[in-house]
Amino acid sequence: MVLLLGLIAVVAVFALARTFVPARTVPVGAALGAVMVALVAYDHQELASLEFWSGLIGFVAIMSALLVVIHPNPMVSVLFLILNLFCIALFFLILNAQFLAVIQVIIYAGAIMVLFVFVVMLLNLKAEEGLRLGGGPQRSGAVVLGVAFAALMFYAIRNRGAAPYFEPESFDSGFGTARGIGRLLFTRYQFAFEAASILLIAAMIGAVVLAKRKLR
Amino acid sequence: MRVEFFLLMAALLFTIGCVGVLVRRNAIVILMCIELMLNAVNLTFAAFAHENQSMAGHVFVFFVMTVAAAEAAVGLAIVIALFRRRRTTDVEDASLMRW
Repeated sequence: MVLLLGLIAVVAVFALARTFVPARTVPVGAALGAVMVALVAYDHQELASLEFWSGLIGFVAIMSALLVVIHPNPMVSVLFLILNLFCIALFFLILNAQFLAVIQVIIYAGAIMVLFVFVVMLLNLKAEEGLRLGGGPQRSGAVVLGVAFAALMFYAIRNRGAAPYFEPESFDSGFGTARGIGRLLFTRYQFAFEAASILLIAAMIGAVVLAKRKLR
Repeated sequence: MRVEFFLLMAALLFTIGCVGVLVRRNAIVILMCIELMLNAVNLTFAAFAHENQSMAGHVFVFFVMTVAAAEAAVGLAIVIALFRRRRTTDVEDASLMRW
């Protein structure tokens, strides 16, 4: 816990230093690097714990998601979204879903994000000015509803049944593998699988028709 | 690892994506925020699948990824068509069908 909080504090101090005293970034960075090494030397057992790595990945995921929303340049947003997708892939690995982690990297980071990068570069977008923040009753209503929803979510998570629903004797060693998912996909979810293929063909035809210059 | 950590993480990511959809003007960034929200939901599915040791959650993540790919392709085609017509990707400018 000490190491995780220390690293987060070091990153925060470095970001503040870069914003407020940009001329002294290098000495501040060197000092903070020494602090980081000292932290690792002080608490190196924590490097082997799953909680430390989950917390670190979670911190990177939240920060990259915030930067996707905040950054005015769409190209930078795309790059931080790719970082966020990699963090989610690591979470899948922690949750014992190896196949999902692999297809997360191949499909999301490999295919969908290439599409986004391609379109951003094709349209040659400039950084936009300002966000749509709304105002007056809209904003106060949003705050009230947001707080109510957060309270509801907190209540739901707190009052969940404590015990997991599975029996430890029936543990399946093939959990999360491509073999297990394939078995489910081609037996119980066969119809949904075929419907997904029709959806993909429809989306492909739709994309071609929409992006065509003249329909003939 | 407790499942609550992953639920909290997914809720935070979903909220950030939702705020992004409401706040940004650029249609491409709005599509990216939708991808963020879909990923948060995928994380919830995987967390519950791990807790219940049932692989049905993984199959649902698979289908969500399929829908996300289709949505990205069609959405970006619409953005390109809009850009060709109006020379902009600002959603405030595309208000013809607004009531």
